[in-house]
Amino acid sequence: MKAVILAAGEGKRLRPFTETIPKVMLPVANKPVLEYVIDAVKKNGLNEIIIVVGYKKEVILEHFKNYKGVKITYVVQEKQFGTAHALMHAKDHIKDTFIVLSGDNIIDHKSISKLITDDSKYSILIKEHPNPSKYGVVFIEKEKLREIVEKPKEEVGKFISTGIYKLPKTIFDNISELTSQGIYDLSSIIQSIVDKDEKINTIIADLWRDIVYPWDLIHLNETMIQRTPSSLGGTIEKGVTIKNDVSIGTDSTIYSGCYIVGPVIIGEGCEIGPNVCIFPSTTIGNNTVIQPFSQVENTVIMDDVRICSGSLIKNSVIGRGCIIENNFTSLDGSSTIEIEGEFKKLEKIGTMIGEDCYIGSSVVVEPGKIIGRRCKIASLKRIVDNLPSNTNVM
Amino acid sequence: MCGIVGYNGFREAQKVLIDCLKRLEYRGYDSAGIGIIGKQLQIFKEVGEISKLEKQIPFFDGDIGIGHTRWATHGAVTKENAHPQLSSNKKIALIHNGIIENFKKLKEDLEKKGVKFSSQTDSEVIAQLINENYKGNLKDAVFSTIKKLKGSYAIAVVCNDEPNILVGARKESPLVIGVGDNENFLASDISALLKYTNRVKYLDDGEICVLSKTSIKIFNENKEEITKKEEIINWELKDAEKSGFPHFMLKEIFEQPDTIHRALLGRVSEIDRTIKLHEKVEDLLNYDIQSIHIIACGTSYYSGLVGKYLIEQFTNIPVFVELASEYRYFGTKNEKSLIIGVTQSGETADTLAALREAKNAGCRTIVITNVMGSTATRISDAYILTQSGPEIGVAATKTFTSQILILLLIAFKLAMLKNKLGADELSNYIFDMKDLPKKVREVLEQSDKILDIAIQLKNVESVFFIGRGINYPLSLEGALKLKEISYIHAEGFAAGELKHGPFALLTQITPVITIVTKDNTYDKVIANIGEVKARGPEVIAIAEENDTEIEKHADFVIRFPGNSSPLSCIPIIVILQLLAYHVANLRGCSIDKPRNLAKSVTVE
Repeated sequence: MKAVILAAGEGKRLRPFTETIPKVMLPVANKPVLEYVIDAVKKNGLNEIIIVVGYKKEVILEHFKNYKGVKITYVVQEKQFGTAHALMHAKDHIKDTFIVLSGDNIIDHKSISKLITDDSKYSILIKEHPNPSKYGVVFIEKEKLREIVEKPKEEVGKFISTGIYKLPKTIFDNISELTSQGIYDLSSIIQSIVDKDEKINTIIADLWRDIVYPWDLIHLNETMIQRTPSSLGGTIEKGVTIKNDVSIGTDSTIYSGCYIVGPVIIGEGCEIGPNVCIFPSTTIGNNTVIQPFSQVENTVIMDDVRICSGSLIKNSVIGRGCIIENNFTSLDGSSTIEIEGEFKKLEKIGTMIGEDCYIGSSVVVEPGKIIGRRCKIASLKRIVDNLPSNTNVM
Repeated sequence: MCGIVGYNGFREAQKVLIDCLKRLEYRGYDSAGIGIIGKQLQIFKEVGEISKLEKQIPFFDGDIGIGHTRWATHGAVTKENAHPQLSSNKKIALIHNGIIENFKKLKEDLEKKGVKFSSQTDSEVIAQLINENYKGNLKDAVFSTIKKLKGSYAIAVVCNDEPNILVGARKESPLVIGVGDNENFLASDISALLKYTNRVKYLDDGEICVLSKTSIKIFNENKEEITKKEEIINWELKDAEKSGFPHFMLKEIFEQPDTIHRALLGRVSEIDRTIKLHEKVEDLLNYDIQSIHIIACGTSYYSGLVGKYLIEQFTNIPVFVELASEYRYFGTKNEKSLIIGVTQSGETADTLAALREAKNAGCRTIVITNVMGSTATRISDAYILTQSGPEIGVAATKTFTSQILILLLIAFKLAMLKNKLGADELSNYIFDMKDLPKKVREVLEQSDKILDIAIQLKNVESVFFIGRGINYPLSLEGALKLKEISYIHAEGFAAGELKHGPFALLTQITPVITIVTKDNTYDKVIANIGEVKARGPEVIAIAEENDTEIEKHADFVIRFPGNSSPLSCIPIIVILQLLAYHVANLRGCSIDKPRNLAKSVTVE
């Protein structure tokens, strides 16, 4: 059986982090979301995967160039109309029954195993969700799918579609039929099949996680980092204290006096210390430097970042390539954020900084603020508002 | 250059050989062939692509054979001149990479004895000679034959009378043994074999090997059996595949944030403010060095030229960059001069010969190469690996930037050892170096903008690249990249030299690509742009992101991120690579296999 993974989307709601990389490539515990999906598929013995790419596809091609154990074929969806339209691009590679997954949701291999061993012609993985109204809500009757409603305004059920299906090859005929009428999303195609009295088995997924907003990166990292075992590579100088599960990549150096309490992941080629404290649920990417007397907690720091001395960072996301000068503080606390016309209150939130920002010495950022990509902030500034990308704070 | 594969094992030899030959295609070739022993020795060869050969070839049963891609040196591109070459009694089949210098004399001698030749190749002479010497033992026949050969060779031979063994020998041309379970391989380079094995043994000059299905015997030039260590190559087959990119070249350009990171990995420490190279390298740099000779060919030569500016700037030690093919015969070999050989493959024949010459003259030698275990790493006193993974595109990209980074590391290390650079200054440069992957990433994000400018160059006949200082060798490299893959005539000039001649060639339809950095020659380069504009051509400037002045002078501007510094050369090169790539792609050129070019030039 082959698997099709849809990975062409941009993920606009995750800006600024998706300005240069597609949503599926956002790192969770130092591994792109898409890699979790491919791993889960591979663990089930499926060894041919078709990935539909589009937005910033080179980032995907480059990352998976050394991926082992499965044959990956890429097809390009130039314009992103919808999930069914994306799936249609894989048509020529599919000979019989297959599974389709979205590349931007973490899924575990056991759920996929349940899906592929199910003997129904059509099957769907579903999941209980606290905020179902943002998703395709599914209504079930005797374990069969009765109705699937995208982002319902009124009464909603508690189960949502994970967008993961097992489908027969004939699905492409259904898609052709409906796309000619201007319908491009997979949920509508599935609904049309239900309407034709076909039985679609519903299977409940064990672990399924979505990233919708930038702060989800912090929570998802916290969940997934617990699954990373301890492994100490690189050089660890005398006088470093390490507790719980800590993973340190090759050619990284942890200098004397550091105090690290896991779960913590540190990538390759990093330099940490001397005297840096790193507390639980922190992930640090490759080639990143954290200078003396800084403290980091429950934070995602991506690749090529430099954090200078005396900085305090909690509950935050620091994008790739940021340079943060001395004595930076991300205040953490509660914050009310306006998003898509709604107000959302977040607790214990720090700051989210996009790629390649330069932040001068002694800058303080209020809780929950989002700083866009390539912003420049002069020393001694206090940031109280979100900053769009390329802002200069003089 | 010619590619060689040999197989002796349990699989269908035909399938294995064709498969491996396809992976040697990147070396460049004009014809190909295979020879297999089943019930008897059969050969098939054809001019053109391997895919063509694959379609035409009848099925040969057999589990031992040899295969070859030919890049013509002696004799035209014909079916007869393709390999394998047979002895006239069709007993011996041989494939060869290299050049036999005394082949005319050997051929005449054989013709006097009545041997009939059917090709113009020097390789047939070896096959015929082995047959003459054959007394029932192929190994002995090969031994007596190679004693008479002058020049370079890597050969693989099979004999109809001994259908269980494959014999290989080499001198100054690459040949590696791939070790399998109940099967063994020979190949010009390991990337051909990665699908089957990553265990190798390297053969040295003058040695020969006899491969059966289950054993590998290696003999030195005195016919004594010797043992060799088996080495594991940590390259993956996937490294040698396009993984979804339309061309290897584009894949390799996009790999650069990662390869730059790998070139610096473990060598640069920001917290300790230091550069660490291998102990042996540091020892060699610690001597009294009065001058440095960098020896290389092609793109590696240009990285040497860039290295010259970097090393001289930071250490004040004079650096001479020499073409290996010239240096080996004409260069001065001075004991007080440190020799740095730069070769991506580690097998470039001219560079190897030049290194040997220098070593014989008592010079200390360091090699910068991408291939661990290659000949260059074994004949030099010390080596530094670029750690870029296999490069398949004929136009060098990622290895070029990594070679420059290694030269930069040498420059900084020398400056540290000779106290030429203050700790604080060095620390700033280390910060800048660590930022390079990010800078290159920013350039790659501009790929579409560079494509827009490439459209301007799509139909021109000639392009000039100009720059001063370190930007002069960058101009040369930019021109080389463009001409080798897009077939547009391109020349790089030192900007100040334009009026000393090249202006005569400048017309209104010759775009001039100018590299402008904010250094002490900035105003001069702006003046040069003025001179060019006065004659009508369009000027495309490559300039730093904060340079607002340049827009007033140039027609188009491509920006590199950050401020100008000696390290800006890296993002600038990536811009030049993308520009060349997009132009060639728009023109529909064969980007990964440009006409008449070969990846590693293993003959002189």
